[in-house]
Amino acid sequence: MILEAKDLNYYYQDGEQRRYILKDTSVSFEKGKFYTILGQSGSGKTTLLSLLSALDSPHSGEVLFNEEDIKKIGYEKYRRNNIGIIFQSYNLIPTLTAVENVLVPMSITENDIPEDTKTVAYNLLDYIGIVRNKADRLVNKLSGGEQQRVAIARALATNVELILADEPTGNLDEDMEQEIIDIFKKLAHEHGKCVIVVTHSNEIALQSDQAFHLRKGVLSPYE
Amino acid sequence: MNFIKRAFLGITRKKGKSLILLAVIFILGNLISGAISIQQATGNVESTIKERLGTAATVDMDYEAWDKMSEEELETFEPEMLDIDLIKQIGDLSYVKYYDYNMTTWVGSESIEPYEDADLGEGFFSGDNMPFRLKGINYAPVIDFEEGKAKLVDGRVFTEEEIDNGASVTVISQKLASENNLEVGDTFTLLNAVYDYPEDSEEEELIGSRDVVLEVIGLFDPQSAKEESDDKNEDSDMFLMEDIEYQNAMYVPNAIVSAEDNFTMEVYAENDPEFAEMMEDESFEYYEPIYYLNKPEDIEAFREEVLPLLPELYTVISASDQYERISGPMESMSKLAKYVLMVAVAATILITGLVVLLFLRDRKRELGIYLSLGEKRSKVIGQILIEVMVVAIVGITLSLFSGNLLAGQVSDTIMKSNDNESEYFEGVYYENLESNLTTEDVLDSYEVELNSSYVLGFYGIGLLTILISTIIPLIYIVRLNPKKILM
Repeated sequence: MILEAKDLNYYYQDGEQRRYILKDTSVSFEKGKFYTILGQSGSGKTTLLSLLSALDSPHSGEVLFNEEDIKKIGYEKYRRNNIGIIFQSYNLIPTLTAVENVLVPMSITENDIPEDTKTVAYNLLDYIGIVRNKADRLVNKLSGGEQQRVAIARALATNVELILADEPTGNLDEDMEQEIIDIFKKLAHEHGKCVIVVTHSNEIALQSDQAFHLRKGVLSPYE
Repeated sequence: MNFIKRAFLGITRKKGKSLILLAVIFILGNLISGAISIQQATGNVESTIKERLGTAATVDMDYEAWDKMSEEELETFEPEMLDIDLIKQIGDLSYVKYYDYNMTTWVGSESIEPYEDADLGEGFFSGDNMPFRLKGINYAPVIDFEEGKAKLVDGRVFTEEEIDNGASVTVISQKLASENNLEVGDTFTLLNAVYDYPEDSEEEELIGSRDVVLEVIGLFDPQSAKEESDDKNEDSDMFLMEDIEYQNAMYVPNAIVSAEDNFTMEVYAENDPEFAEMMEDESFEYYEPIYYLNKPEDIEAFREEVLPLLPELYTVISASDQYERISGPMESMSKLAKYVLMVAVAATILITGLVVLLFLRDRKRELGIYLSLGEKRSKVIGQILIEVMVVAIVGITLSLFSGNLLAGQVSDTIMKSNDNESEYFEGVYYENLESNLTTEDVLDSYEVELNSSYVLGFYGIGLLTILISTIIPLIYIVRLNPKKILM
């Protein structure tokens, strides 16, 4: 078990009432598998991902990474060394080139990465489908699909085992969506990563190794 | 791609914003730089002028305080004389390089003629029975020679024995000597004539006299009066008169002057019983002390230590006091520069702070990305600080030169507008303390220059101001929540 959520509770205080987004949610994830968390808008799936990626903290419950509470690891350190995050709107730094965007987390992480970081970054981009001449372009000169590939390369740059993605294909057309999903499957099945994707797409959920459905704050297996 | 490299890329790849920040810092930097330049220049003038005014100080009655006393106070107030022990006690203070105390009297002569200057015409001393000034001294090497006011050109100065014993020896000016064919080793005779001025007569009446025979042991040549009279054509008559007076002065031991004063008083007492009764048990010895300090900056400390030792209504008067009289335009410029500096620093903090805050809001997403990747907040803050400070260093360096030029132009204009203000001196003249420096000299010595203290001062104040104006908006980064920005 690489990641486990135990009895997570997350709510908004509305006067004296609590509006639960997640209620006693527990779930676990293994390496080498591609997971999806399916849900309607406002179902709490992004909140769950933000808790799993330590961008937010639950009101109660815990998230364990390799059986260690991420609170003990330290949220910042956990994000720096243990996970890669991919966002729907790519969230790349527009003043940097594609390769420079990939280099950023390499300078932040404390993980062991090869010294020649630039070569590693170019190779990663190449693996994801960004050729050399595009790798040297500012990211806002790339298409949406290309930008999301750069974001995936950035998530992989620190050699982490856990990839978390929030609606990664939300801004892409169908062809591009499939290409991105194929990359995730490849990362899970060929490279042993644990890939967790939050989505509202049934098609993507059907392609995952295991899918969960989040409704009214309760997580259940998707069938 | 560490935070330092990211900072430099941030500057070069966001040229527009960097240029806006540079322009803001440059404009405000000019104000700060100009104000510092003017402050430094006025500060330099003060130290230069005070250096030129010298380190001399004396102790005397505070006539301003005296004038302010009421009639009742004046009736009961009995001023004390400065006694020699107190003069010596002050002279022993660590700030004092050397000191002297002098008595002065005027005498005439039937055997020698006073020196006169052809430029002032003959007969300058006609009708003056006492054209020679005997300047009594206690400091054997003669303080005026040590201070460069005059130069010993022949013979020697006094010995301690001659001073202590009141030997009949003198050092006179070279011109007076050549006027009367006197050389070192010669003796000449002065006449201490005592005159009375009866109320019923316009003529003065000689009531007693005696000869004063002195041996010439040295010849001096006045230095300062000569230099200044060359410089100041418009005041040349005044300087010539000062020079003539000095050429006719004779340095003698204090005891000689004291003896002649006593003789004068005795003659008066013999001729006027009322005066004799009034002056019974009174001392005729009145000394003017003169202290030369080690450094001009010592004057305030010296004043602080001396004031408690002095009798009531006495005060310390220093050569540098004259600065306050002649430094009017400089003072107003210094004040103006101080206010400009304060306003400029406040404006820089406010305006640069707002500009940085606006830029940070614009880069909220970028900062959120760094935080989501696990970057430490301190390094994100470091990146922004480097970006601002690098631009600030460029802006400050540019304004270092332009502000300095600007300060030169502005201060020229201010000084020209103040140049017409003249100062009239009303007060007591102290021979050893007065210099011929004027407001014009103060203005002439004003120079806005690019020196190391200005450069360091400006970089220090400029960078500190920018640092403060950046740190305040950086609180924004500390409060950033990456989830809210990115998801």
